Amino acid sequence: MIEDIIIYGLITSGMYALLAVGFSALYGVTEITNLAHGALFMLGSYIYFFFASGYGGIKLDLISALLVSAALVAIISSIFYRISLDPVIEDPISVMVVTLSLAIIFQESMVLFFGSGRKVVPSIAENFLKARGMSDFVTIFGVKTTYSQILSSVLSLVLFAGLIIFIEKTRIGGAMKALSQDREVSMLMGINVKNLSMLAMSLSASFAAVAGVFITSSTGGNVTYPHIWQHPLFMAFAIVVLGGLGSIKGALIGAFIIGFIEKIFTLAVDPFIANLINVPQGATLSGAVIMATMLAVLLFRPKGLFGKRVELEE
Amino acid sequence: MVTTYLRRLYSSFAAHVFDIPPRMLALMLFLLLAFLPLIGLPSTIVTILTGANVLAIFAASWDLLVGRTGQISLGHAIFFGIGTYGTGLLFYHLGHPLWITIPLSLLIGVGASLLIGFPCLRVKGHYLALVTLAFPIILIGLILYFRAFTLGDFGIWNLPTYFPFLPYAVRETAEYYLTLFLLFVSAVTLYKVANSKTGIVFVSILDDELASKASGINVTTYKMMGFAISGFFATLAGSVNAHLIANGRVASIASLRISLSFFVIIYTIFGGIGTIYGPIVGVYILEILDKYVFTQVLSVPSSYRLLGYSVLVIAFIILWRGRGVARFVTDKLEDFEEARDIDERGPRIWKTYKKEGKKIGVIARMRARLKK
Repeated sequence: MIEDIIIYGLITSGMYALLAVGFSALYGVTEITNLAHGALFMLGSYIYFFFASGYGGIKLDLISALLVSAALVAIISSIFYRISLDPVIEDPISVMVVTLSLAIIFQESMVLFFGSGRKVVPSIAENFLKARGMSDFVTIFGVKTTYSQILSSVLSLVLFAGLIIFIEKTRIGGAMKALSQDREVSMLMGINVKNLSMLAMSLSASFAAVAGVFITSSTGGNVTYPHIWQHPLFMAFAIVVLGGLGSIKGALIGAFIIGFIEKIFTLAVDPFIANLINVPQGATLSGAVIMATMLAVLLFRPKGLFGKRVELEE
Repeated sequence: MVTTYLRRLYSSFAAHVFDIPPRMLALMLFLLLAFLPLIGLPSTIVTILTGANVLAIFAASWDLLVGRTGQISLGHAIFFGIGTYGTGLLFYHLGHPLWITIPLSLLIGVGASLLIGFPCLRVKGHYLALVTLAFPIILIGLILYFRAFTLGDFGIWNLPTYFPFLPYAVRETAEYYLTLFLLFVSAVTLYKVANSKTGIVFVSILDDELASKASGINVTTYKMMGFAISGFFATLAGSVNAHLIANGRVASIASLRISLSFFVIIYTIFGGIGTIYGPIVGVYILEILDKYVFTQVLSVPSSYRLLGYSVLVIAFIILWRGRGVARFVTDKLEDFEEARDIDERGPRIWKTYKKEGKKIGVIARMRARLKK
């Protein structure tokens, strides 16, 4: 039981970290609450599916399909940023409504192109191992899991570290930090705020796309469908609000808290309650508990665990 | 005695309604809606309009909370769902008739809105929006989990109907009038609240919370008041909707669906946020376009419809900054007012207008040109 919770918890947390960090970084730099983050996740998995399975006649190998997917999602998101988000960036309600509409646009375009059915997303690790005659399944400390899941979890942490290095060590990363601290002053310092925001948007979108490819190809029956975006979006919300909007460290720690809560509930608490009362098959309290945890944390720390504190304006 | 009183009532009514073109227009539209079923509409349209009435109450309540108080709520379906499940569960477990369950669920709704408003007081802006989104998810999770109590995703069917004593043929029309009456009462109340002293305080909180605090306004009380009033009317919409034949007389988790929270935003932005009458206009236009014109007349697939709305909403926000259809009409009517004033007071005012470089509407400009 304990081993199950620890192993599965670590894997889930790693995946959630990749999902949440893009959302949080985008908020940190541009103050955009991107409700289309889940839709970009879905779009990434669909573009990967399109090239990896040869759906439209073009077949690439899996790794280049992944790269193409991340690049295309980045380009699409930056185009949409320029057209629809940039003019309204000052007003939070407008930003939310626009990103929400973008999410519905992506969802319905996918319904039109691919139909509303489920599509099987091929897993990179599984294909790699199959080509060498090995199985994807692995047992660690008596816990059954797959190499695909471990790969996606580890890769997400690697990308996470890469993002931190990018922000801390490069000039553009420094400009992003400046922009997140003060928009007007960084404008005065000669930073091209528009282009930098667009870059942040495309970076965050490509993170969402990579998360989409890895999470859909290793969990939940390896499928993607147009309405898949809601669950990852809400998980990203819970994590990011818990850790503090705009804080990358907060996103990592929030992902671990949420990932472990989810696994503790699905593996330990739900079976326990199911023994006491009649509970339908497959129902779980974890979603409700995750949201309730987020609320409880906000009651005591209104800006999340690592959120920016603005002293004068409160 | 009675006649003087009546005459005074009439003159007050005339001064507050007849002399103000937007209100006159609203009254005329309302009367039009009241006479619509009499000309023998097919029952499908009556069903659509009944649904639109309920949604209009819901959208107007969202507008009071968000457009006036500035408390961004992305999970307003929570109140709709509380209303639906409040009346549904009271009927299912206790067997009360609907004239007990609906008022009780309204009480539950106000209590819940205060409970929800409490954690929301601590957070602002983006955090608030994301926090409010969490509530319907929590409630959906609980409803699906405690299936023995709530019947889970199956829903509570066969809720009591409003007019069991009427013949089947006229029940839907009667329900249409009931919802229209409720919409009228709710819309007038919400409009009055939004334009009362309290409403002005709401707007001051929206504009600058710190400054209103400094002016001695108890921001906490007013925010809670906003939540309670908005929650009351949203719960009303939910609980009334549960018993409608148009809705199938069922309380299910469809009443908590995320798309309901999202669509209410689209309606409001389309109609004009912060106006109270805007969302009502938005609901009517979009619901009739969506459920009748595009579905039954043109039979457009739902994907294209949703795509179209999303593009429309983005275009509305970018091009008109979310001013909305209703505001556009009232602005034009105010131009008309201005033009009438110019007629009465002579061309001098028109000249000062011109000198100040003020923009005058199409009608005023045409009239001025005619005078030359």
